[in-house]
Amino acid sequence: MTSHESNKDENIDRALAGWEILSVVISCLIAEWVVLAFVGNSKIVGAIPVALALAFMIFSHRQRGESLRDLGFRTDNFLPAVRLLVLPTIMAGALILVLAWLMRGRQFGFAPFRPRFLTVPLWALFQQYALQGFINRRAQLAAGIGLKSILLVAVIFSAVHLPNPLLTGLTLMGGLLWAAVYQRAPNLFAPALSHTVLSVLLALSLPSHLVYNLRVGLKYFG
Amino acid sequence: MRGHMKLVHALIGKSIAETILVAVLAVSFYLSAFPPSFHGWGEVQPHSIAGWAVNQADPWERLEVQLFIDGKFVTSGTANQSRPDVAAAGWASDEWHGFKFDLSLGPGRHQARVYALHANRRAAQQTLQMVGDPIMFDVAVDGALHPLSDKSF
Repeated sequence: MTSHESNKDENIDRALAGWEILSVVISCLIAEWVVLAFVGNSKIVGAIPVALALAFMIFSHRQRGESLRDLGFRTDNFLPAVRLLVLPTIMAGALILVLAWLMRGRQFGFAPFRPRFLTVPLWALFQQYALQGFINRRAQLAAGIGLKSILLVAVIFSAVHLPNPLLTGLTLMGGLLWAAVYQRAPNLFAPALSHTVLSVLLALSLPSHLVYNLRVGLKYFG
Repeated sequence: MRGHMKLVHALIGKSIAETILVAVLAVSFYLSAFPPSFHGWGEVQPHSIAGWAVNQADPWERLEVQLFIDGKFVTSGTANQSRPDVAAAGWASDEWHGFKFDLSLGPGRHQARVYALHANRRAAQQTLQMVGDPIMFDVAVDGALHPLSDKSF
């Protein structure tokens, strides 16, 4: 294979990775905006674009020869990833608490714990898989390892939390942090743990009118 | 390269599936929110706006109708008054689909629109469907309503 052909293949691979990201993001936007607008809170219909995206991601992993270990479902680099995340997570948690204290008139108050919070770790792991295990990996193919791909991941994560202003801002910061850590230590359990802690803290401490039950997409409006 | 082609095909397949999904949802939504079974008419009478409204998909339903004057909601009512001409013309199974809104407006030119309220099956979404055309009319000093023909405005 000549260098010209090799460059051509690389360009095709980069473009393809970009299209893969776009396709998965569009599925998320369809689930968040289109399904809710047309059929309301139908979980079955809402699951269709999510299932399509998941099936495509699994197919893509198989075609590219990626194992579960490659994606970050592993434990050998869990502690190094946790070490990278622990300080920023504590700082973000403190920031949330200070914000909650200010928003509650300089008083601490916590919302009651809801059983559905028990599902947050699974939901966080799924989100981190889609965000890091798929989008981050494809972003690295499309834009290379480093700032560009990290920014791309963070902007995408933030965009799928529109129009909730608080979540859009916080997920931009969270996206930057988790994407950067994943590129140094590709582990999914550690960012999922950080994601869980911060999400629950957010839901429990901030006034409900501010987090609006963590609603995103069209659901935010009602 | 072969793997790439499979991925390209998967991307195209997924896009087609999502396009079909969105199209089906959009058409279903349109038919559910704005069913083509709503019919009706409104006209100017000396001191009121009157007409009829029928949902042919449910001919026994008495529709809620809302009156808007100059783009602002004025009042609502139920289309359940006698209109034997509507049944005779075959628009409805019975005659009880008429409405009448008595009006007391200041002199000048106004536009009335009558809408039938439609709720979908679970009443999660409600839409307003215009009954007939917008109705242009003048109100005289004595309060009487005079219709304007299309050419007058």
